[in-house]
Amino acid sequence: MTASVATATPTPARRRRASGLAVGLLLLIALVPVLAFLSVTLGSRDIALSEVLDAFRHFTSSSSVEDTVTVRLRVPRTVLGLLAGAALGLAGTLLQGLTRNAIADPGIMGVNAGAAFAVVGSITLLGISSLGFHVVAAFAGALAATVLVYAVGSLGRDGATPVKMALAGAAITAGLTAVTTGLLLTDLDAQQQYRFWQVGSLAGRYAPIVIGVAPFLLVGVVLALLCGRWLNALALGDDAARGLGVSLTRTRILSFLVVGLLCGAATAACGPIVFVGLVVPHVARFLCGPDYRWVLPYSMVLGALLLLGADILGRVLGGTGELQVGVVLGIIGAPFFVLLVRYARLADL
Amino acid sequence: MRPHLAAAAGAAAALVLALSACSSDIADDDGAKPASGASSVPDGPWSFTDGSGEVVKTDKTPTRIIAHAPAAAALISYGIRPVGIYGDESVETDPNLDGVDLTDIEILGEEWGSIDVAKASTLSPDLIVADWWPAEKAHSGLENGTKAKSKKLAELAPVVGPSQGGSILNLAEGYEDLAESLGADVDDSQGAKDKEAFEKARDGFIAEMKDKDLTALAVSPADDLLYAANPEYAPELLDFTEWGLQVVTPDSPDPDFPYWENLSWENADKYQPDVLLIDSRTFVDATKTAKSQPTWTSIRAAKEGQVIEWPAFWLHTYADYADALTKLTADLADVDDTIGD
Repeated sequence: MTASVATATPTPARRRRASGLAVGLLLLIALVPVLAFLSVTLGSRDIALSEVLDAFRHFTSSSSVEDTVTVRLRVPRTVLGLLAGAALGLAGTLLQGLTRNAIADPGIMGVNAGAAFAVVGSITLLGISSLGFHVVAAFAGALAATVLVYAVGSLGRDGATPVKMALAGAAITAGLTAVTTGLLLTDLDAQQQYRFWQVGSLAGRYAPIVIGVAPFLLVGVVLALLCGRWLNALALGDDAARGLGVSLTRTRILSFLVVGLLCGAATAACGPIVFVGLVVPHVARFLCGPDYRWVLPYSMVLGALLLLGADILGRVLGGTGELQVGVVLGIIGAPFFVLLVRYARLADL
Repeated sequence: MRPHLAAAAGAAAALVLALSACSSDIADDDGAKPASGASSVPDGPWSFTDGSGEVVKTDKTPTRIIAHAPAAAALISYGIRPVGIYGDESVETDPNLDGVDLTDIEILGEEWGSIDVAKASTLSPDLIVADWWPAEKAHSGLENGTKAKSKKLAELAPVVGPSQGGSILNLAEGYEDLAESLGADVDDSQGAKDKEAFEKARDGFIAEMKDKDLTALAVSPADDLLYAANPEYAPELLDFTEWGLQVVTPDSPDPDFPYWENLSWENADKYQPDVLLIDSRTFVDATKTAKSQPTWTSIRAAKEGQVIEWPAFWLHTYADYADALTKLTADLADVDDTIGD
């Protein structure tokens, strides 16, 4: 009873906190166009700012190399970086909340292993080497792996408990990885093509791929943002959540579908990207506390900023080649994560 | 599977000696025809200077040879037939074995890094033949990264082979010398005809290049990067340069993997050659990948369609080199030498 009264008439302190969080979120959102601007102007090729602006003013198919690089390489790459980053940040938060596992990330749900298996299978078994087909296959593989993990994890009387989900994810990842490695060992050409999928990257993904995965990512993002109330209930423990009238099974199935959609589409487009889904939820919780109705939008924006920022770094630091964003994230993600573990009590889930 | 064979494979020097003794018995008992098919096996002792610089000596001239697939192709062209071969890929697809008669030759491996040493030991080999890789300080099939079990092949018999290096001819000539030392009648062999064909093809190539001022860049297009080959590590490219085709040397190869310079697709136009060379083994797929890149045509040679096949990294024999050079010469004949820088 007391609780519902407090919700109905928030104290001034709580209202101030909410407005502070809103301002913080707006500030972060304001950084998005700044990074997007940098992403279009900076890269492994030096292009003067005036030329970048010219490229947008009069782009035709017979334009200069600078125009092509700006409009056909950097713009889709920027859009994909923002969308995939937002998706991975949200998916990580959903997963950590659902499984109450502080180190859950898309990798442990079998998403990467499922995508990799589907790509390698389509190269070695079907002999298809088109990037467009691989993206579709990766998406299907990631979704299938997520469903499989959920199905295996929910076997038994007490349903899909966090521990069983984590074990199912690890087991299915191991199984799929074994088969993938087996297929790769017998096929040199497949190894060469698969190299592209071992480390996540935003390079070489052009408009058709971005347009192809964007609807899935957008739908997933919207659905994920609606999950805050459920996650808040789940954070109290299964029994308390049930007591608050949340159907555990329905919540878990729907949320996992959203995770599968987000990670599947992001991994299909960029390959396996580490650390974004793992680190971003922690930073978000550090900034705005435990209320998932705030943690989710913060994770979305932080994920987008982190992925695109890391990609820009890789392009600027990589010389005439580029450092793949997966590599950059590994380099900056690891020490960052150690700091988080050290200074924030991350086990509070 | 068969424990005594596994033991043989793993055993040390004593057993190897026993096996090689055994092998000479086989040759002697057989009498008329040596296992290698050499026209006349010279009496021992036999010696050969390996690509590593080491002089390998045996009391008798080897006749039971196990060879890496390309080495086998070279030896067979001189009439020396191995008893067993191992390759880096299926014998069906290995370009080195195209058209080579493998009757009665045991296949001991069809995948890089994996050799059936137990089976190899039943052949009682007295010599293993494979290229020497100076950068990796190992013979083909025994490099770092291959299975520890496979490397035990080297315990069955001495390993020799010419060195990979600045020219494909190092290999072609090296295998000619090796075949001769094993008793091949080199002058009256398919290999001798192949050599003639090669010399003709080479002269044709030189003549074609003479009136032109052609620059070439060898590339491997991938979805995320364009790799520009460093001729320093591609002996056939060094040969082409020697014979008049100016192959571009990239100015900043990847320090960790100096075979290539990695170019982002934003920088695809860094080099402007007259003609682009793409690995012939993956030409169709690689060309498709390249064409899907918006900046591929920022290389003028690509825009003009001056993209031809590059017989990359696999050539060993005069026969294959003759074919490759003839095709290359024909392809280059149509190339306009005013496209590049």
